[in-house]
Amino acid sequence: MSSLKTAFSGYVRYKGRAGHWAFLLHRITGLGTLLFLTIHIVDTSFVYFAPQLYEHAIALYRNPLFMAGEILLVFSLIYHGVNGLRITIFDLWKPEWWEIHDERKSVLLTLIVAIVLWLPAAAIMGYKLLEYGFGFFGG
Amino acid sequence: MSGQRSVKIKPNYEVIAWKWMRYTAIALIPLAWFHMILQDVLVGVHRIDLNYVQVRWAFWGWRVYDFFLLAFAFAHGVNGLRQVLMDYIHSEKARIWVSWGLLVFWLVISLIGAFAIIGGVRMPSS
Repeated sequence: MSSLKTAFSGYVRYKGRAGHWAFLLHRITGLGTLLFLTIHIVDTSFVYFAPQLYEHAIALYRNPLFMAGEILLVFSLIYHGVNGLRITIFDLWKPEWWEIHDERKSVLLTLIVAIVLWLPAAAIMGYKLLEYGFGFFGG
Repeated sequence: MSGQRSVKIKPNYEVIAWKWMRYTAIALIPLAWFHMILQDVLVGVHRIDLNYVQVRWAFWGWRVYDFFLLAFAFAHGVNGLRQVLMDYIHSEKARIWVSWGLLVFWLVISLIGAFAIIGGVRMPSS
């Protein structure tokens, strides 16, 4: 497990700036989404394999804590998608854009685009969280 | 650049996986985003139950949609996990074991999902 320790301390110490932070955020959002996706495939399959359990699974997702997590999940999927599109465009069509000064600008642009796309979704979900989770707006 | 020379190299597994991560990325941006915006943001978990899934899957187009989403998203995700794990696992023996483990994990979960999409909702008799 020493390679694991080296990797994590390296993540903190490495001074790769923008590209390094994009790399880390891409991994974290990807792994987080995969964790949810795995659970989501299994709980959705209950509709066929164990229908009576499906309502229990959904009841868990309606918990305010899970609803807050869902807002983070939406950010993860949006960021991972925007950054993945950046990587795909650079790798497949515009390798010259990996040049460090362009790349640093593109990392910032990616984050801004992701946040702008996420905010309206977060607002709607935040409203529902207050409504269903805490009884606001007559919920 | 002048005098550029291109060489054809037979792609190995890693090259093919690298390309497919990008192809599936392009497919997943509309597929996964639309699914998420519709189900998580617009409909919301409080309006989703067995009945909702049954009505949704009554239209076979949604089953085809969900099938492609399942196939692309889970394969993309498990290969991504493989890439991350291989950054930390360096012994040849451990890499083989982890690769087989991931293959089984991918196959089992994909099949569970595919069976549910094909089988549809079984309403409990009450």
